[in-house]
Amino acid sequence: MARNPQEIVADSISEFGNGRERIMQILTRVNNELSYVPSEAIEAIADATGVSAAEVYSVVTFYSFFSTEPRGRNIVRLCSTISCAMAGQGEVLDALIEEFGIEPFETTEDYRLTIETTPCIGLCDQAPAMLVNGEPHVKLTPEKACEIVRGLE
Amino acid sequence: MHSVTVNINGKEYDVKEGSTILTVCKELGFDIPTLCHHPDLSIAGNCRVCVVEVEGWRTLVPACVTPITPNMVVRTDSSKVRRTRKLLLELILANHHNNCPECERNGNCELQSLAERYNIRFNRFQTVEKPESFVEVSPAIMRDSSKCIMCTRCVRTCEELQSVAVIKSVGRSSEVHIGTFEDKGLGDVACTQCGQCINRCPTGALYEKDETAPVWAALEDPGKIVVVQTAPAVRVGLEEALGLPTDHHTGKMAAALRRLGFDRVLDTDFSADLTIIEEGHELLFRLKDALVEKKEVALPMITSCSPGWIKFIEHKHNDYLPNLSTCKSPQQMFGAIAKTYLCDKEGFDPAKIVSVSVMPCTAKKFEKDRPEMNDSGFKDVDYVITTRELARMIREAGIDFDNLPIEKFDRFMGDSTGAAAIFGATGGVMEAALRTAYEVATGKEIPFKGLNVMPVRGFEGIKEASIPMPDEMAEGWEFLAGATLKIAVAHGLANADKLLKAVKAGEAEYHFIEIMACPGGCLGGGGQPIPTDMEKRMERMRAIYAEDESLPLRKSHENPEIQLLYAEYLNEPLGPKSHHLLHTKYTKRDRF
Amino acid sequence: MEKKVLLAENQPEFGAGLEKALEMTPADVVYEIRDSGMKGRGGAGFPTGVKWNLAGASSSDVKYVICNADEGEPGTFKDRLLLEKYSERLIEGMAIGGYAIGGSHGIIYLRAEYPYLIPAIEKARKNLMNKGLLGENIKGSGFSFDVEIRPGAGAYVCGEETSLIESLEGKRGEPRNKPPYPVNSGYLAKPTIVNNVETFCAVPHIILNGSGWYSDLGAGDCTGTKLFSISGDVEKPGVYEIPMGAPLKDLLELAGAKDVQAVQVGGASGSTIPASEIHRALSFKDLPPGGSVIVFNNSVDMIEVLANFMEFFVHESCGQCTPCREGNLRLMDAIHLIINGDICCVESLTPFFELAETMKLSSKCGLGQTSANCFIDIINNFVELSGECECGECNCEGGDE
Ligand SMILES: Cc1cc2nc3c(=O)[nH]c(=O)nc-3n(C[C@H](O)[C@H](O)[C@H](O)COP(=O)(O)O)c2cc1C
Ligand code: SF4
Ligand code: SF4
Ligand code: SF4
Ligand code: SF4
Ligand code: FES
Ligand code: FES
Repeated sequence: MARNPQEIVADSISEFGNGRERIMQILTRVNNELSYVPSEAIEAIADATGVSAAEVYSVVTFYSFFSTEPRGRNIVRLCSTISCAMAGQGEVLDALIEEFGIEPFETTEDYRLTIETTPCIGLCDQAPAMLVNGEPHVKLTPEKACEIVRGLE
Repeated sequence: MHSVTVNINGKEYDVKEGSTILTVCKELGFDIPTLCHHPDLSIAGNCRVCVVEVEGWRTLVPACVTPITPNMVVRTDSSKVRRTRKLLLELILANHHNNCPECERNGNCELQSLAERYNIRFNRFQTVEKPESFVEVSPAIMRDSSKCIMCTRCVRTCEELQSVAVIKSVGRSSEVHIGTFEDKGLGDVACTQCGQCINRCPTGALYEKDETAPVWAALEDPGKIVVVQTAPAVRVGLEEALGLPTDHHTGKMAAALRRLGFDRVLDTDFSADLTIIEEGHELLFRLKDALVEKKEVALPMITSCSPGWIKFIEHKHNDYLPNLSTCKSPQQMFGAIAKTYLCDKEGFDPAKIVSVSVMPCTAKKFEKDRPEMNDSGFKDVDYVITTRELARMIREAGIDFDNLPIEKFDRFMGDSTGAAAIFGATGGVMEAALRTAYEVATGKEIPFKGLNVMPVRGFEGIKEASIPMPDEMAEGWEFLAGATLKIAVAHGLANADKLLKAVKAGEAEYHFIEIMACPGGCLGGGGQPIPTDMEKRMERMRAIYAEDESLPLRKSHENPEIQLLYAEYLNEPLGPKSHHLLHTKYTKRDRF
Repeated sequence: MEKKVLLAENQPEFGAGLEKALEMTPADVVYEIRDSGMKGRGGAGFPTGVKWNLAGASSSDVKYVICNADEGEPGTFKDRLLLEKYSERLIEGMAIGGYAIGGSHGIIYLRAEYPYLIPAIEKARKNLMNKGLLGENIKGSGFSFDVEIRPGAGAYVCGEETSLIESLEGKRGEPRNKPPYPVNSGYLAKPTIVNNVETFCAVPHIILNGSGWYSDLGAGDCTGTKLFSISGDVEKPGVYEIPMGAPLKDLLELAGAKDVQAVQVGGASGSTIPASEIHRALSFKDLPPGGSVIVFNNSVDMIEVLANFMEFFVHESCGQCTPCREGNLRLMDAIHLIINGDICCVESLTPFFELAETMKLSSKCGLGQTSANCFIDIINNFVELSGECECGECNCEGGDE
C-alpha cells in the first residue's frame, strides 16, 4: 500500500527538517515513492516550510524528474543524447513503443510503466543506456531493452 | 559612500561607488532601456536589454545588476550594444502577440516604446507563428500570456510587496510561463485581486477586467438613473492617467463625469465620512465592551476599507476575522445608501438605479460582486471602473478635460470633509477616525497641530503611535480617562502580514490597526495610472494632504450631509438601520 | 600518453592528504593549491586556489564546501567513475577545502541520474568516519567536518554553481546575478566554495606531493592531469587520464578513433572541430577541456548532431533570460529550415550568426553564453551551404542591417 502524501512529507520533514532548503529532498522522496508529486504533497510542503503553494509548484515544474501527473510504478528513462543516438537509441525506443504501446512521456493504463526520454545520463561509454527506476542498464539492443522492461513488476 | 571616477562614453565622471551602472547613468542622463527592472522591486536581470559594454569584460553586462567599480570604463552607445539590444527586442517580439492597436496598453507600453525606439520594422526571427492570445479571466484581473515577456515584475510584486506569492514562473525553458498553483485561474487561488501586478507589468499581459462597456450602455439607456461615486484617490490620479499636468482639480473631474452623462455625480468621500462615524463608534464600543463590560471582544480592531486586504486576511489569517471592523468599505456603504436613502430623497425607483463607482482599485471589482453586498435589496454597486478606465472614457467621449469648468458634486451624497480626502493615503483612515473618535470620547479636538496626526503619515511600511487620553472625558467614556490608545498603520500586504504576525506572536499590542493592501494606500492602488514609482506616489500623497488642508471642514462628524443622513434616516451610529445597511461579515477562504 | 594520478592503481591511503593538511595552516593549504596552478575541472577553469583564498578571506562563522556532482554536460561521465571508486578521495578533498577556508559543512549535490552511486558515497563517508577523518574535532585538530548528499532532479543548468545553490536552497535552478559571488554569499547567503568532483579528488594528491610536482605534470600554466570521457565513434570508449595540454590526437589514439570527421571537446557547449585540427592542445588556451570528447566518423550527418544538441539546450535552458530562452528556439528553427531545405545559402543565416553572437554576449549564465557554439562550429565546418542563393526563396536579403 502506498503511503499517503502527507505521511511521506511528514516523515521526510522529521528526517531532513522543515527549512525551505530541504524542499528538494522532500520532493525527491515523494516523487520516488508515489511516482509523482500530488497536490496534497505540495500543500503539505508549503505549510511546513512556510512558502506558498505556487512557489512549491513552481519548483516542481522546473525539474524534469518531478511530475505533477501520476506516472507508472516503473519509470524508464532512455537517454536520447548524441552518443546514445549514434549507438542505436532510436531503434531501442521504437521497440519499446511498439511492444508496450505507449509513446515517450505516456503511461500504460494499468500504471505499470512510464517511458521517458532524457538527456545524457552519463553512461555514454556504454551507449545506448537507460535508467529503470534509477538503476542503469547499458549497451542496450531493442531485444535487451524490451526484455528488461518486460521483467518489471 | 565615497565617490569613484568612472569613464562613461568617453568622459570621466565622479560617481557614487556601489550604485549600479543603471542608476549612475540615469543620473548622468545616459538613457539605458530596461524591461525587467522596476524601482519598487528587487533586481531580476533577466530581460538583458539594459546591457552595456564594460572594458575588460568578455561579455556585455546588465546595467541594472552591475555595480560601478573604480575606474570602470563603460560604453552605453557602441554599435555592439545597440545591435544586441535590438536583436533582443526582436527575439521578444517574435514570441509576442503584438496586436498593439487592440491592446490595453497601446500607447503606454514599455515594450512597444522600445520597439519604436529601436526601429523594429521587420523581425528577422519571425520563424514561427506568433503565439495565440490566451486570456484568463478572474473577477478583476485579466491575464494574456501571449503578451507576457517573462520579466517577472508581477511575480516580484506579488511576493515582495504583497507577500501573497500566488504567481510564479512555472515550467522551464521554452515552456516557462507565469502561473499559479496547478495553473489555476487567479480567481481560484489566494490572489487578493489587488492589481499591484498590473501596475508593474511593462506590457499588456495583465490588465483590469474592463467594465466600461456596461457603463456606457447604462449611460445611453434613458430608462436608467446612473449615479456615480468617485473615491478619494481617483482625483489625484486622473490627470496623470490622462497624461495632463497634475493640478488635481476635483471640480474638473465632477464636470467630466457630468459631461459623460451620469445623472448624479456623487462622492465616495461622503461615504468615507460615514465610514468614520460608524467605525469610530465601533472602536469606542469595542473598547467599552472590553474594559467596562468585560466581554470577550476581538482587539485590536482592524480596518476593513481595503477589499484587497479583506481577501488577504480571509485567505491567510482567517483566525483574525473577528478583529476586522464590521463596517463595509466606503464604496459599499455608498451603494447601500444610494439605493435607499438617496432614492427616498430624490424620489428614484431603486430598481432603475445603476450604481457606478470609480475606484483606484481593482479589488473593489471583486468586492462589489460579493454575494452579501446587497442589503438594500439590490446590488449595492453595479459596476466598478478604475481611474484608468475613467480616463479612457473621458478620452473616448472627446472631453477636453483641461478646459473644463470647476463644478461641484450633486447634493445629498456629495459633501465631504478633509477627513475623507485623506482616506486615499496610508494612515488616512486612522487619522480621520482619530479626529472623530477622540472628539466623541473627550469632547475636545485631537491635540495635534492643525489636526494633522503626523505619526501616521508617510511611506514607512509600518507606523505606530500612542495617543494618550486626557483625564477628563466626555460623558459615557470616563473609563478611558488617562488611558493610552495604541495604534498601528501598515500599507502593502507584505507589511500587513508582518504586522499581523507580530500581533499574533504577542510581540506588539494595539487597540486599533489600519491596513491598506496597496503600497502608499489607495493612491497607489491597482487601478491607478501606470507607471508607478515612489516619486509618483509621493506626488499623489502631497496632493491628498493639500486637499485636506484646503477644505473648510476636516472632521467627518462635521459633514452636514452626514448629519442630515443620521437625523433623517439612520438615527444613530451602529443603530439597527446602520447594522443592516452598512455592516457586513467575512468569509473564511482557502489558504492557497 | 596516459598519466594516471587520480586513477592510479597504487594510490596513497585515503585520508593521508587530509592528515598532512591538518598539520599545515589553512593559509598554507590555500597557497599550496594556488601554487599548483590547478584550474577547476568543471569546465569554467577558474583557479581553485584563488577561489579558496577569496572564500577564506570572507568572514563568517559558517561556510560551505559544495561538491558539484551534477555532471550533466552531454558526453561526460568521468565524475561518475570518480564517485563510484574514489568517493573517499573526494570527501577527503572536500574536508581539506573546508579546513582551508574555515568551513565545516560539506554538501555533495548529486545529479538525479546517479542515485545508484549513493551507497558508494555513503560507504566512503563511513570509512572516513571510522578512521576518525570525518566528524567532530578530526584527529584532535579542533577542525570538524562532515558531508551530506543532496539530490538534483534532472536539470542540466543546476551544474552552474549559482543555480546549484538555488536548487540546494529549495528553489528553481535559475542562475543568480553576480555579484555577489558564492565565495562571499553562496548557500544560505554564507561564503561557499563550489568545486567539481575531479577538482576535489586532485586536492589530496597536491597536498601530499606538493604544488611543484603537480604543475610539472602538465604543460605550461595548464597544470596537472585531466580526466576525459570519450564516447561516440571510438573502439574503446571510457575515461582516460592524460596530462593537461596534451594534443587531442593522443587521446583519440588511446580510445581508438578511426575515420574521424569531427570531434567535439567540452561537450555540447564546447568546440566542434574537424579532423584536420586534432593536433590542437587540450588546454584552457586552445581547446578548453570540460571532460567530454565525442568522436564522429565520416558517416555521421553533422546537421543531425547539431539538431540533437540544440534540442538539448532548448530543453535545458532555465528559461529565465531572453537571449537563451528565445535564442535557442530560434536557432532550432534555423536548423529545421536547413534540414528541410528551406535555407540553402550562407547569407540567409547571417541573422542567426548575429543571434549566436548576441547569445554569447548577453546571456546571464554559461549555458546561454555557450549554447550557440555548436551551431557556429557545425554550420561553419560541416554543413554545406552554397555561397549564393540557389532557391531564390530563402529571404537572404532579410533584415534591415
Ligand atoms: C550550464 C552549466 C553547467 C555546468 N555544469 C557543471 C557540472 O555538471 N559540473 C561541474 O563541476 N561544473 C559545472 N559547471 C561549472 C560550474 O558553474 C562551476 O564553474 C564549477 O562547478 C566550479 O568548480 P571547478 O572550479 O572545480 O571546476 C557548469 C556551468 C554551466 C554554466
Ligand atoms: S503589450 Fe505592448 S507591444 Fe504588446 S501588443 Fe500590447 S501595446 Fe503592443
Ligand atoms: S492581484 Fe495582487 S495578489 Fe493577485 S496576483 Fe496580482 S499582485 Fe498578486
Ligand atoms: S505578466 Fe507582465 S509583469 Fe508579469 S512577467 Fe509577464 S510581462 Fe512581466
Ligand atoms: S543563459 Fe539560459 S540557463 Fe542561463 S540564466 Fe539565461 S536562460 Fe537560464
Ligand atoms: S549520451 Fe546517452 S548516456 Fe551520455
Ligand atoms: S533591465 Fe537589466 S536585465 Fe532587464
